[in-house]
Amino acid sequence: MTVTAPVRTPPPAGAGPSLPERVETVARVAEAHAARTDREAAFPAEALAAMRETGLLGLLVPVEYGGLGGSVGDLADASIRIGRADMSTAMIFAMHCQQVAGVAGHAGPALRDTLLPEIAAGRCYLASVTTEAGKGGHLLSAEAGLTLAGEDDDLVIDRFAPIVTGGAHADGFLITLRSPGADSPTQVSLVHARRDQLDITESGDWQPLGMRASHSVALRLTGRVPGHHVVGEHGRFSRIATEVFGPLAHIGWSACWLGTASGALSRVLTLMRGAGRGRFDLGSELLLSRLSRARQRLDSVHALLRHTEQVFAGAADVSAPRVQLLLNALKITASEQCLAAVEDLVDAVGLRHGYLKDSPTRLEAALRDLRSAALNYHNDRLHLADGRLALLDPEVRLV
Amino acid sequence: MDPRFTELLTPFLKLLGNREITPETGLRDFGLDSMQSIELLFAIEDAFGVSLPDDDLNDTTFATAGSLWNVIRTAAPEPGTAAGAA
Repeated sequence: MTVTAPVRTPPPAGAGPSLPERVETVARVAEAHAARTDREAAFPAEALAAMRETGLLGLLVPVEYGGLGGSVGDLADASIRIGRADMSTAMIFAMHCQQVAGVAGHAGPALRDTLLPEIAAGRCYLASVTTEAGKGGHLLSAEAGLTLAGEDDDLVIDRFAPIVTGGAHADGFLITLRSPGADSPTQVSLVHARRDQLDITESGDWQPLGMRASHSVALRLTGRVPGHHVVGEHGRFSRIATEVFGPLAHIGWSACWLGTASGALSRVLTLMRGAGRGRFDLGSELLLSRLSRARQRLDSVHALLRHTEQVFAGAADVSAPRVQLLLNALKITASEQCLAAVEDLVDAVGLRHGYLKDSPTRLEAALRDLRSAALNYHNDRLHLADGRLALLDPEVRLV
Repeated sequence: MDPRFTELLTPFLKLLGNREITPETGLRDFGLDSMQSIELLFAIEDAFGVSLPDDDLNDTTFATAGSLWNVIRTAAPEPGTAAGAA
């Protein structure tokens, strides 16, 4: 394998819009189209275009590859802001960033040098293909196998995935498959394929309760990619899952959910202090208590999010049970408390502004979207994992 | 590696077939899942009369037979003696 030097085109310091400005642009575009993409269950194409143009797709691409060189904290900030506008768009963004971190951290030089500059330039939106029929959502196993072909050990892909968020719009995919010659379903490899390297058949319809703009369709992917498209070592996907995908999923998702609930609270308060003044009894102790409870939930999730993000950034071994427990606690807590906060708000403002689709509070959409949070890598599954992890830390050392 | 250790490990590696356990044998690859690693931990602690330090109960330790054995050996300087007494 020839190792070529990375394309070094760092943006000059101070050039272009600041990171918060880029995020703001994307959030505003997402907000402008949210009502339609929700109604039509359509992918937020305009917001993706804004992510490409602002360079935000390359948030986690290191600067030497032309990216923004952002941190996990930057990912959380951006996800919160975009989540305030539209949870589907925020989740699409956060999940793309999680894939990018996997490539940046674990791909070999040949793949990094070609793929990372493409992502930084806004030409490559990456989707994740980890779901598979028949394995019950187990991330760390795979049924469909990779086979090797040709002199260069090309990788032959034939994979069906029941749910691929943004799959119809992605420029490339990171796909889990059973490793070539695997002894067991837990020997899983992660492989990158560009859209033009695959034959893609889309099936089924996407008509969900919430998260309607995430456009998570079923795909059958077949094709052949060069051997160096494996990300990390063959059979060692579990390491990428533990060190990158799990942490960034939980931090990124939680930030999206916190953003959605924060946006909902903000719109309720804005209504109460503005156009709705006089229509709400702001002296009502019940109303005030409900606002308090919603705010308390969001501050708790935010504190846990920031703490987890810092522990992750400084952890010597992310696989240590106390670190994994914290990451899982963040996901479980955020998924429950952000939904509960919006429930509080629905109760606080009642039928007209809590339940009807056309209220400027958009609580109805926030409630539907946040209902999926517990299901996204199901909390039940995480509690099972946490029970086992708890047994591995009898001293109960909190980080 | 102590033969008592490989004997204890064998039933946890249901995909091992007729292969011999070597220090390089990947535990996850041959069928050890997260629930079973708890049971394996208890079995080791009983058989060798040791308590493995919490800090060692990570993915690196449970990666291969050799890495797990190293932690046991460090926790019990003379595991043969402890095993004999068990």
